[in-house]
Amino acid sequence: MSTPESSPLVWEDELWEDLVRSTDAARCFQCGTCTATCPLAERGTLNVRQLVRRGAFREGPADLGAGTPGLWSCTMCAQCNVGCPRGVDIVGVVRYLRARGWRKNDVPVGLRPLLWAEFQDGNPYRLPPSQRSAWTRGLSGAATGSTTEAASTVLYVGCTASYDPRAQRTARAVARLLAAAGVPFRLLGEQEVCCGETPRALGVDGLFRDLSARSAELLRSIGATRVVTVSPHCFDALRAGLSKEVEVVHYSELLDELVSKGTLKVKPADPGLLTYHDPCYLGRHHGIYEPPRRLLESAGAKLVEMPRSRRWALCCGGGGGNMWREAPGEERLADLRVEEARETGATLLATACPFCVTCLSASEAAGPGRLAIMDVAEVVARAAGVPT
Amino acid sequence: MSGRGGVWVYAERRGDAFRPVSLEILGRAREVAEGLGEPLVALTAGQDEGVGDELAQYGADQVVVIAHPLLSRYDTRVFTGLLERELRAHSPSVLLLGATRDGQDLAGRLAVRLRTGLTAHVTSLEVASDHRLVGWVPGFGGGIEAGITCPDRQPSIVTVRPGVFPMPTPGPGGGAVRVVRPSLDEAEFGSRRIAFEPNGDAVDLTRSDVLVVGGRGTGGDFARLQRLALLIGGEVGATRVAADAGWVEHERMIGQTGVVTRPKVVIVLGASGAVQFTVGIDKAGYVIAVNRDPEAPIFEAADLGIVGDLAPIVDQLVKDLGAV
Amino acid sequence: MRLVVCLKVVPRPEEVRVDRATKTLDRAGVRSVINPADLTALEAALRLRELHGGRVTALSMGPPSFVPYLRVAIAVGADAAVLLSDRAFGGADTLATSYTLAAGVRSMGGADLVLCGDESSDGGTSQVPQGVAEWLGYSQATYVDRLEHPSAGTVRARRVLEDGTETLELPLPAVVSVLGGTTEVRFVDYDRWAMAQAADVEVIDATSLGADPGSIGLRGSPTVVAGLREVHKPGRRRELVTLEPAAAAVRVEEALRRLGVPRSEERSPSPSEPSSA
Repeated sequence: MSTPESSPLVWEDELWEDLVRSTDAARCFQCGTCTATCPLAERGTLNVRQLVRRGAFREGPADLGAGTPGLWSCTMCAQCNVGCPRGVDIVGVVRYLRARGWRKNDVPVGLRPLLWAEFQDGNPYRLPPSQRSAWTRGLSGAATGSTTEAASTVLYVGCTASYDPRAQRTARAVARLLAAAGVPFRLLGEQEVCCGETPRALGVDGLFRDLSARSAELLRSIGATRVVTVSPHCFDALRAGLSKEVEVVHYSELLDELVSKGTLKVKPADPGLLTYHDPCYLGRHHGIYEPPRRLLESAGAKLVEMPRSRRWALCCGGGGGNMWREAPGEERLADLRVEEARETGATLLATACPFCVTCLSASEAAGPGRLAIMDVAEVVARAAGVPT
Repeated sequence: MSGRGGVWVYAERRGDAFRPVSLEILGRAREVAEGLGEPLVALTAGQDEGVGDELAQYGADQVVVIAHPLLSRYDTRVFTGLLERELRAHSPSVLLLGATRDGQDLAGRLAVRLRTGLTAHVTSLEVASDHRLVGWVPGFGGGIEAGITCPDRQPSIVTVRPGVFPMPTPGPGGGAVRVVRPSLDEAEFGSRRIAFEPNGDAVDLTRSDVLVVGGRGTGGDFARLQRLALLIGGEVGATRVAADAGWVEHERMIGQTGVVTRPKVVIVLGASGAVQFTVGIDKAGYVIAVNRDPEAPIFEAADLGIVGDLAPIVDQLVKDLGAV
Repeated sequence: MRLVVCLKVVPRPEEVRVDRATKTLDRAGVRSVINPADLTALEAALRLRELHGGRVTALSMGPPSFVPYLRVAIAVGADAAVLLSDRAFGGADTLATSYTLAAGVRSMGGADLVLCGDESSDGGTSQVPQGVAEWLGYSQATYVDRLEHPSAGTVRARRVLEDGTETLELPLPAVVSVLGGTTEVRFVDYDRWAMAQAADVEVIDATSLGADPGSIGLRGSPTVVAGLREVHKPGRRRELVTLEPAAAAVRVEEALRRLGVPRSEERSPSPSEPSSA
């Protein structure tokens, strides 16, 4: 029988109790369904079931630091959550374990500067807040968020849609569509602060709460009661971070409502054969599957589904802080997803998340043939006769 | 304030040669000395006694060579002491040094030793109408320049970055050379050198003034880019797409998760210009971009954008530049 | 080890404007951060403390508005923070600044090692660490990317020079300027945040410091700003042309020529410094 000193794993009561206190990991009975359904586990780099247990072990070979396989490459797609027979919030467990890494200052290279950027610049790109409104170039009238009425709706653009030229097109499309539908809204401009999704995903809850508090204060000071987001990640983070006083919706929900009521006029165009990629943070995390599809159909699209869709959609790999890391080739989920999309015969792959657009576009660019990738807002904008 | 003590330039030795920046400064200092109506003196310290004539060829009226075998390497304590002695003895009005790592190590200590003013990293030197030397320094990321003078203390110590002044052409020389042979021993050194490792050949894009960067549009033909890079003294970089495809080593990947560069000029070929890439070239002095798609976001991040096929354009450039 | 880290709070580069009328800096609404290289110095100090034990004190010279930034340093891991603050310290050039910081170190009873960032992003003179060393009579090593403390009275510092790295052994006490960006800086420890907000940041004025009035602030600064001028940094020109390859090549060649881009054989032998832009 091995002595505690020679055993590679030493159960530590204190660690287990902290894990149990902070997460619902105690409900796990190690069935392995999570690992069986995890897209990264298929690639051999993440053993979810093991992670859930490792939280109880003391430092040593089972140390949960930077080297822990899979802990940091988890994209938080929540496929594990969906399959878990015990309803454990496994994504929450991963977040907790990552927080432990930060406490020991044992995290992968590249993440510390990212958090400093969030802390000092209010966005992960290290770009100045003064450039946050650059995406509005070319917008006019109500689409700029200027309104004579005291608008209680804020269009929350988010860092990626503010700074990334590709995602800026989505922001412009959403702004123009809201204006075309006569929905008054405001923009936060340079004062908009990161929703904190990345610090939260990485396990740095303190920074997430700090950023949320700043957003809450700003929204309160302008009397906002509803926030419409461009990104599902902002949608998820603001939902988690703001109090219930503010209603947070994703643009696809609002536009779907406007189109079905007839407030937003959409003329079916012909975008051709189209497949839709469910963003994890819209779909699995929040159950929003139909509004984007209805919007695409109202725009005249012939929708064909990929084998893995809705609750079983394959993640693009951009979540869980992975937009800022280089995933090695075999882990690149977006490559697989683009392949799936191509196999449907679709000429257009639509999605509703700036991270998905970025990841899928990068994979598409590296492959053969041309598969157009667009955000749902852009497809709708075309059908609504609104410039993008 | 100009006492008639002279404009002194510290010429830094590196191995068997003077650092180019020291010669660049000498060139400009010749004009400054004339403007101030003072002699130009070059000062150097090293192991060789016979290097004075070379400095005289760059316009120095007088040259002071401090020579001792132990001075083959820079040491803060020894060099500060040696220069202090010379400067106190001759009271120059100005001392110019190249803003090299050792140069700045020395200048900062010397300035406090002499309780005088130090103006660092000037990008230009001007003689004002009142015969005062003004050094212009950048600040705040280069958006603002401040003109600095040192009216009441001597010498006014000024450091200059390499490449700010042009390399002068040597003349006939003829200035007087004075050799100083200090007595020195190891015990006077403030530090002991344990090791010195010269730079290897590892790729370091952050040290390049000129970059040629390729993206998806290159189709993998980086040899073409390398030919161009070679002709313009540049290094080859790549976007994530290109690095992932294995077309170049990962050390050459530029962007948010790769290298952040600040070259004088970067030529971006066949890259769409996603923000994750452009944050790696945002600080470049001048951006030239070539892409087939007129809507490509890279054109927002470029000074000169050319809509066209990169292959024939690069081939033409190689032909034109290689021919001369 | 008694470790002191000198921190400077600097404005974000893109946000500073020159007031054309008064020729002074307009800092209204400007965001500030701890000078990035100073954070690297803080990281180096914290690592030494992890290995050798001791105390890390953050030291800064500036207005009371610097206090929150010193609290950030404590949240990152510093044990204590001291701010040297007095109107009389204002307008200091590097001679007066290094004098004041040195006096600050002395007021703590000295240190074994004083660490500073090699350069500050708002003026970047790179001279303060050397000045502090001279005022204190400590040994110095600049542009260091690796630090070790092999024995009680010495430190080994690896300096990054243009053509290679040199490792020096110097006697303590010493001042070291740490090369910014050479290592990741640990992030704020939120478990320390509340404590850092409540921490007693010692604020010392000129009199308490015992500073010589002639050596501080404007009076102690031999260099003077004679004027300011804005260097125009417009955004990218965004000129867009569609040209045949031959004409396109000519355009590129013109641009390269204007920029003074040399051919490979014309390249100057010493590697150039990064541009200040």
